[in-house]
Amino acid sequence: MTQKLQTNLDQIVARYPDVPPLIILKTDVQRRGVFYSKAALELLDEAAHQTTGTHIFGARDGMIALRPESLLLRDGTSIITTPTPLDENPYLVDVKDGSPWLFDDGVALEAVDYWPAPDFYAKSSSSGVPMKNIVSARPQRLNIFPYRYCTFWNNNKGCSFCDIVSQLKKGGKELNIPAKLDPHEVGVVVGEALKEPGRFSAVFLTSGSIFSGAEPFDDEVEYYIEILKEVGKQFRTKKFPSQIIGTAFTKKQLQHLYDETGLMSYTADIEVLNEGLFDRLCPGKSEWIGYQGWKKRLVDAVDVFGPGRVNTGLVAGIELTSPHGFISEDEALQHTLSEAEDLARQGVSTVFIVWSPRPHTPLGNQKNASLDYYIRLARGLHALRVKYRLPIGYDDYRHCGNHPDSDLSRLLPY
Amino acid sequence: MLQVSEELIDLIQNRAVVKVIATLDERGEPYAVPAPFLQWSERGELVHLEPLEKSATNRNLLRSLWFGRTVSVTVYGPLGESFVISGHPIKAHICGPLFRHYYQQLRSIIHDADLSTAWIIKPISITDETYSRVKIKEEDEFPFSVHLDRLRADHYTTERILS
Ligand code: SF4
Repeated sequence: MTQKLQTNLDQIVARYPDVPPLIILKTDVQRRGVFYSKAALELLDEAAHQTTGTHIFGARDGMIALRPESLLLRDGTSIITTPTPLDENPYLVDVKDGSPWLFDDGVALEAVDYWPAPDFYAKSSSSGVPMKNIVSARPQRLNIFPYRYCTFWNNNKGCSFCDIVSQLKKGGKELNIPAKLDPHEVGVVVGEALKEPGRFSAVFLTSGSIFSGAEPFDDEVEYYIEILKEVGKQFRTKKFPSQIIGTAFTKKQLQHLYDETGLMSYTADIEVLNEGLFDRLCPGKSEWIGYQGWKKRLVDAVDVFGPGRVNTGLVAGIELTSPHGFISEDEALQHTLSEAEDLARQGVSTVFIVWSPRPHTPLGNQKNASLDYYIRLARGLHALRVKYRLPIGYDDYRHCGNHPDSDLSRLLPY
Repeated sequence: MLQVSEELIDLIQNRAVVKVIATLDERGEPYAVPAPFLQWSERGELVHLEPLEKSATNRNLLRSLWFGRTVSVTVYGPLGESFVISGHPIKAHICGPLFRHYYQQLRSIIHDADLSTAWIIKPISITDETYSRVKIKEEDEFPFSVHLDRLRADHYTTERILS
């Protein structure tokens, strides 16, 4: 079985000579997950490396334990992946010549680095909360998760792949992570983080949707503004490299968000580019905004943030889940890319993450798509960015690291 | 492991010495630019500091790492010493202690500089292109290329021409 998958990786590398083998490997590792050997975990040094536990969403094996937050390949690409039980056939992270390497079927494939821990991870806020539980980090990004709940779950209409609520329960209990952040404290931690030379190049915010307010989602917008204003105090420029993944807001809300803060880019994840599947798999989004409404608001956001500063994310693979998903990968791909093109020609980029099924979610017992599918999807989305000249610098390998398609855009001059 | 002379290492480490890095673009065309911050590491590798993320050289280096192409570095010293080093970019540091070291180094040299990537280039061959040395070798190995006026009976030279 493992041998067959190893051969599969080689086959895909041979089939797509225009796609870097490292990106194909990354995609497959995201697809299959990783398992850390005891020796690999012994290399983990909490003072030097980032460890799991701070993220808004959970791991594939459902555990919160001390493990590397994620991996870096030698091209600077991140592999954001989750620890996966051995019986699901993950890649193995083991030790070779004293360093961590990715292995498959006993073959050492590539050296990897654990993400380095930023300086501020060693500190606590004035209220005694570890700073890493207020603001976390990727290799070059500061992550702020202001609100670790999503009100779509109030009537059980959260997205079918999402484990934010179970993660919140674990995070609160086991890790002392506040469910709702104090904006002032966020600002202080960001200020502390910026003391580290050359570490960060973007500020990122995301939370669950908050539908309350005079207009739906006004409270979510206001909360983001509050946080971004505090963060903005740490910068000498009005605008600073930043991204938000929020709900699809109205144009009025977006303009308000843009005018009041230093925010420079905007993302509202549509998750799946098919109206019927969106309605079924993201019922809360469907109920409050709807598929066509979501698309329209993304396009409206281009007027506010500018072309090449707005995108949407897909949880790629859920479009192939049963019983309502596409039966064939060809059909899913064709449909997804055609919808993505409709957005791209209006200035909205699409990126994807490889869906990793999480336990305790409605889709948790299904499988994600083939490696061939993910590579074709990455090439297709990248080709759209080339065709419509859409920069993706705010959501690339440096600022996110979770999108094989935007990894390909590293070679573009824009 | 490739043998590298002290002379060459000293030249590389000397910031006053001209260094040029040549990479291949997407059409396979060479693209050469000065590499003033090129240096030699203790691990026996070249370190190239690329300040800008979207520079042609940064993208070409990435392409080389991704698709196994070579790059070359030319070092040209004040006494005419010249070396061409070809190598493979093997690692792009964008964070971590090594990146931070080079980020701070670059900022101490250039006011308000940024650093995109500290590239590690593993040398695979070194060619001595120093004219005074290559000339002797060439004239020994290819004596039929020498212009005869240089060998005239009344031509005085201190140079060694043909043995
Ligand atoms: S919008 Fe969907 S994916 Fe996002 S937090 Fe809410 S339920 Fe989860």
